[in-house]
Amino acid sequence: MTAVLIVALLTGAILFGIGVYGALSQTNLVMIMMGVELMLAGAMVNLVAFWRFLHPESYSGQMFVLVVMTVMAVEMAVGFGVAIARFRAIGSVEMEEAEDLKG
Amino acid sequence: MNAVVLPVLPPLLAALALLVLRRGGAVLALAGVTSSLAGSLWLLARVADGQAATLLLPGLPEMPLRLVAGPLSAVLAVAVATVGTFVLIYSVGYMKRESGLVRFYAMMSLFLAAMQALVLAGDWVLLLAAWELIGLCSYLLIGFWFQRPEAANAAGRAFLYTRSADLGLYVAVFLLIRSTGTSEIAASLEAGGSASTAAGLLLLLAAMGKSAQVPLQDWLMRAMAGPTPVSALLHSATLVAAGAILLIRSFPLLTPEALLAVGVVGGVTTVAAGVIALAESDLKRLLAASTASQYGLMLIAVGAGVPLAALLHLLAHAAIKSSLFLAAGDFQHARGGTGFDRLEGVGRARPWAFAGFALAALALAGIPPLSGFFSKDAVIASALSAHGVAWLGPLVLAGTLLTGTYMARALRLLWQGSGETGAVAGSAWMGVGIWGLVVPAAALGLAFGPIEAILDLPAREAEGTGVVLLGLIAAVAGLALGWLVSAPRLLGPVYPWAQRGFAVGGGLTAWVGRPAMAVARGCERLEDRLYAAVLGVGRGGLIIARGGERLEQGLYSAVLGFGPINLAVAHLVRVGDERRIDGLIFALVSGVRALGARARTLQSGLIHHSLAISAVATAVALVILFLASLSF
Repeated sequence: MTAVLIVALLTGAILFGIGVYGALSQTNLVMIMMGVELMLAGAMVNLVAFWRFLHPESYSGQMFVLVVMTVMAVEMAVGFGVAIARFRAIGSVEMEEAEDLKG
Repeated sequence: MNAVVLPVLPPLLAALALLVLRRGGAVLALAGVTSSLAGSLWLLARVADGQAATLLLPGLPEMPLRLVAGPLSAVLAVAVATVGTFVLIYSVGYMKRESGLVRFYAMMSLFLAAMQALVLAGDWVLLLAAWELIGLCSYLLIGFWFQRPEAANAAGRAFLYTRSADLGLYVAVFLLIRSTGTSEIAASLEAGGSASTAAGLLLLLAAMGKSAQVPLQDWLMRAMAGPTPVSALLHSATLVAAGAILLIRSFPLLTPEALLAVGVVGGVTTVAAGVIALAESDLKRLLAASTASQYGLMLIAVGAGVPLAALLHLLAHAAIKSSLFLAAGDFQHARGGTGFDRLEGVGRARPWAFAGFALAALALAGIPPLSGFFSKDAVIASALSAHGVAWLGPLVLAGTLLTGTYMARALRLLWQGSGETGAVAGSAWMGVGIWGLVVPAAALGLAFGPIEAILDLPAREAEGTGVVLLGLIAAVAGLALGWLVSAPRLLGPVYPWAQRGFAVGGGLTAWVGRPAMAVARGCERLEDRLYAAVLGVGRGGLIIARGGERLEQGLYSAVLGFGPINLAVAHLVRVGDERRIDGLIFALVSGVRALGARARTLQSGLIHHSLAISAVATAVALVILFLASLSF
């Protein structure tokens, strides 16, 4: 049982690592957002693993993951909205060129 | 409205109206006194029906002022109002040629109001107030002709004598209120024991002052310096009567010792004043001495334990003496004075007034069927029946004899001889006044029966024939003596002494008057000094004020100088403001700006910068948490 939990936690950590790398290394807004999604997915795998292997009788873990997935969807919608608006205004979603975002 | 105020209020209102309006003297005063007469008659009728009336007025705490209309009060109120009415009617004629009439009538009205209040007073506080008021009014009225030194002197003397005796009343009242705890006269008279004797003697002192008993009789003769209506009013039913009224009212209080003292004072006075009257060379002064003598008789009756006899004599005497005085005023106008040397034969020239005078004189002497006969018989009977004091009887008989003698002497001097008689202005008014009082003086004796039935004083025994005969013999013998024998021959060596009013070593004047005058002079000197001191204070105040003015000027220039200084300070402040505070604020602002600029460098606008910072911060947070979990 514990070996399976470790596997699940490792999977989550790998997913999070890939996500961090992606978010930091990519310059395209869409790619950065995909990295962020991977980080969230890693965190969710951790949550589900802890629920499944430590307290399967309680449903609060499942519920929490469902809420996080909803927040992810909303975040995606807002992020892609911003990306499309920027693409329409400037013609690019390259974040290296987005120094004008500073206030 | 309560009926008790009816006798008191109208004269009071008249006096107030006169004070305010300053005109219409006689009309207002007559209206006041006649309404007072009507009110007191109505009151008497009600009281005779058995309806005693009481009025409580707010006074001292726990001691309301009471006006009580008992039988005695009602009878006396009627007497006061009757005499007052006719005296005021008489005054209209008598005072025709005088100035200051408003003052005269205002004082007369106030005097009558005060006397009615005194008669009707049901408690000691109101009685004291009324007592003081009549004292004040008598002072003002005796001194009506205050320009004349003898009138001013007489007024001051009357005031001083009665005032010093009034102290007795004050102390007596305090004693009574202390020992019985109430200021109501009727209740406080039940005080027994030593307090009662002391209070009785003190009341006697007060009565001696007001009723001019020996040795305080001197002021009464001198009070003749006032206008004659004033003398008539003072001597009959009001001021002088107040003393006798006081003793009659407080009779239940008087112990045998006090009664003895009352009898002694009355006995001495009736004889001494009678002799003085016999020796007087002035008609009004004779009448005044006779008043003192008659009040002596009343005091004897009180001392003998029959206040009813005293009251009857008081009523008869009120009518008689006022008509005598009014007639004397008529003679005075006819001859320009009241000395017997001037009045010789005036009786023939003024027959109506003389007839009134003679009738009243016979009444006073006690000739039947005039009022004085009945009242004097009552007094003689009371004195003869007094137990244990046998000498009262002879004294009363001597007083009666003297009364007859001096009245006959006055009649003889007025009738015999001749002199220049001037025309008398306003003699119709004066005639009405005289005869209005002569009629009751003659006929009052017939009303004594009903009056006795109303009164609640202890009843007297009916006098026997012996008493009546004795009184009659004394009166007739007195009249014959007075008519036939001249006063110097009658009195012999006593005559000059009696003429001086039995003055012993300068008389009471030396013992009372001079110290009082010395005190007054001392007061005057003190006042002068006070005045000087006040003046000094005033001058000092002026100096201080001047100093203040100077100080103010200095202050003014200082303020003027202060302005520029202030401006300079303001300038300095402004500079300080600009340089210091503004500088501080600007420094703060630029500091904040610099901090902001530094913070802005973090905000490149580049996403991966932000992400990198987030990642690093998260990593740092993780490391810290990890270390923290290790340490616990």
